[in-house]
Amino acid sequence: MTVQTIGIVANPASGKDVRRLVARASVFDNREKCAIIRRALSGAINAGGYKFAFLDDSHNIAGGALLELGEDCEAERVPSLGTSSVLDTIQGARNLKEINPIATLILGGDGTSRAFVKGWRDSVLLPLSTGTNNVFPRMSEATVAGAALGVLAAGGVSLEEVAVPVKIIDVEIEGESPDLALIDAVVTRDKFIGSRALLDGDMINRILLTRAEPTAVGMTAVGGLIRPTPEDEDAGLHLTLGRTGKHQVHAPIAPGLYETLNVHKAEVTPFGKVVEFKGPCVLAFDGEREREIQVGQTVRMRVSRTGPSVLDVDKTMHLAASRKVFN
Amino acid sequence: MAQAKKKTAAKKAAAKKTATRSTKKSVVKKSATKKVAAKSTKKSVVKKSAAKKVAAKSTKKSVVKKPAAKKVAAKARKAPRTVAKKGASNKGPSNATLKAMHLKMLRIRRFEERAGKLMEDGKVPGALHLYVGQEAVASGVMQHLSNEDWITSTHRGHGHLVAKGGEFKPMFAELFGRSTGYCNGKGGSMHISNMDLGMLGANGIVGGGPPIAMGAAFSNQFKGNKNVSIAFFGDGASNEGSVHEAANMAALYKLPCVFVCENNGYGEYTPQADHQAIVDVADRASGYGMPGVICDGMDVMAVYEAAGEAIERARSGGGPTLLECKTYRYYDHVGIRGMGLTYRTDEEVEAWKKKDAINSFEKRLIQLGVMSRKQLDALDAAIGEELEEAIQYASDSPYPTPDQLLEDVYYVKGA
Repeated sequence: MTVQTIGIVANPASGKDVRRLVARASVFDNREKCAIIRRALSGAINAGGYKFAFLDDSHNIAGGALLELGEDCEAERVPSLGTSSVLDTIQGARNLKEINPIATLILGGDGTSRAFVKGWRDSVLLPLSTGTNNVFPRMSEATVAGAALGVLAAGGVSLEEVAVPVKIIDVEIEGESPDLALIDAVVTRDKFIGSRALLDGDMINRILLTRAEPTAVGMTAVGGLIRPTPEDEDAGLHLTLGRTGKHQVHAPIAPGLYETLNVHKAEVTPFGKVVEFKGPCVLAFDGEREREIQVGQTVRMRVSRTGPSVLDVDKTMHLAASRKVFN
Repeated sequence: MAQAKKKTAAKKAAAKKTATRSTKKSVVKKSATKKVAAKSTKKSVVKKSAAKKVAAKSTKKSVVKKPAAKKVAAKARKAPRTVAKKGASNKGPSNATLKAMHLKMLRIRRFEERAGKLMEDGKVPGALHLYVGQEAVASGVMQHLSNEDWITSTHRGHGHLVAKGGEFKPMFAELFGRSTGYCNGKGGSMHISNMDLGMLGANGIVGGGPPIAMGAAFSNQFKGNKNVSIAFFGDGASNEGSVHEAANMAALYKLPCVFVCENNGYGEYTPQADHQAIVDVADRASGYGMPGVICDGMDVMAVYEAAGEAIERARSGGGPTLLECKTYRYYDHVGIRGMGLTYRTDEEVEAWKKKDAINSFEKRLIQLGVMSRKQLDALDAAIGEELEEAIQYASDSPYPTPDQLLEDVYYVKGA
């Protein structure tokens, strides 16, 4: 059995936006990100994985971590655009696809995973949280997450056993390039992208969710507190908001930041059903304002299960234990 | 749930009461401040009237006809702070706020372009460090400030003063070393200041501003007012001991101060990677014990929103914030072309120019119907006219006389 390559992507920009101020979110410096990668690499190597391909981020987070391992591993540097913007992750994902790692560790928030998927849609991911409002990446100790990747890369488990395809929102924007979201697509009355964060519930017109979780923070919690919609349900949840609403939901729209939102209607949205509306508005994807829509411009969104696959760490490690991979 | 709502309503009511109280207070204080200002600036009033005479002489022609766009520009410049308070409106910043920020940026850009040209033509004594490219930072931050709020600037300080409300005539006069300048021609580009506008000064010493801003914040806290101070500095200055000391003390005493790092990627001619081991200056915030935030310094709305949160936090007693704005200067460290050093590539400069804050903001203002291209062009033309008038005014103004040498400066008598 040939040992497969593991991809590594770290987003230097995650954990530093305006939410540090308004939402009592934590500051996540790049030294800590480097330390997380080191722990993940340690887990992977001890589970039999030793080939890595890392995206050359502008802060050398992954590269710096790999440097310490020296001869314990084989590491390939994947070039990025070097723009210190989201384009680095998108293009980096495309470049990584050519190397075709069996799975990729993504260190960042929902937005980082989204950017990666924009570059490589049918990838296999293991997203680890650093940012805020994170639903797609779960909090997990990097050592164990790395070990799961190592087990997979060394053939201890197969992708079919441990990788699950997730839901996604496809967004068509009239006359412009399409977009996507992994957890939520939000329509706001903002005029600008500005500082990107969604901090004012009064500005929100509608929310389309792939999953609505009452145990999470962010837009997913708004839907989750009305009609929970788990990841394994083959449908999304569409909320329309107004000045008055059938549901008044007091939800954490960001860490430590509760707002009361008037939800006029909450509809389960079957796969393929199109949610259509016109501008002007600003679209936010996975917690960040991303696109400014012009007056009269049409937007169509729909939920499906055609997103990337996500590695199930629990399942992988339980299978590894039952197969005595570490014994 | 009902309880939570009740609590929120109670909090809102309490906040309203506090706001009413603090407004009343500040009205009283303002009038007191005005009296103090009137006492302490008697001298400058005399000088100003002299300056006015010079201006009247040199601009008799232009007084006859004032174009409409010019009136708009003047009105917007004098307009009070129009900050959209969170929760006050569900539509974001008003059109007046958007126009005011655009005007600030455009005035900075045109002032700096003209000043740079004058320097290269040998008409300005000394060196000018131009702010072109970084306009969104000064404009987005200053939109939240009144004249009672203090700022400290850097050697690249013209943009900060323009955004704080600085007028072209006394600015050019100062650059030309004339007695009608903001500092009577004795400060020049790197020491330009104006207390009436809350501008504590540009500073030739790299990292010299933050301790002064911290001191101003200490005085605001001591006096119990709601004013804040802003320390502008660059990535190069962020390595200076003075910046660390100011940040430490500000965090220790929870002072109403915001540290705005304009990270333009270079400490003079040295790339950031060659002068510090970190890429994000905001990473240092946790070491000081304050929040650190990064925003896109080429996007005035991003700066406006992030600065708004940091300033509001400082005003309400939450303490200081380190706000890092990622930005870029289009021109050289000094002047436009500088010394022709090859420390950065033309491709890099062009890549940053594609993100130009003014172009992208104007495009969006047109899309939103806030301003038309025609209105933007008229505004630009009016700023151009105002600049030429100011340059003429400065050129016609007298130099300070030798007997004024020891006025407005600190010196030891008899030394």
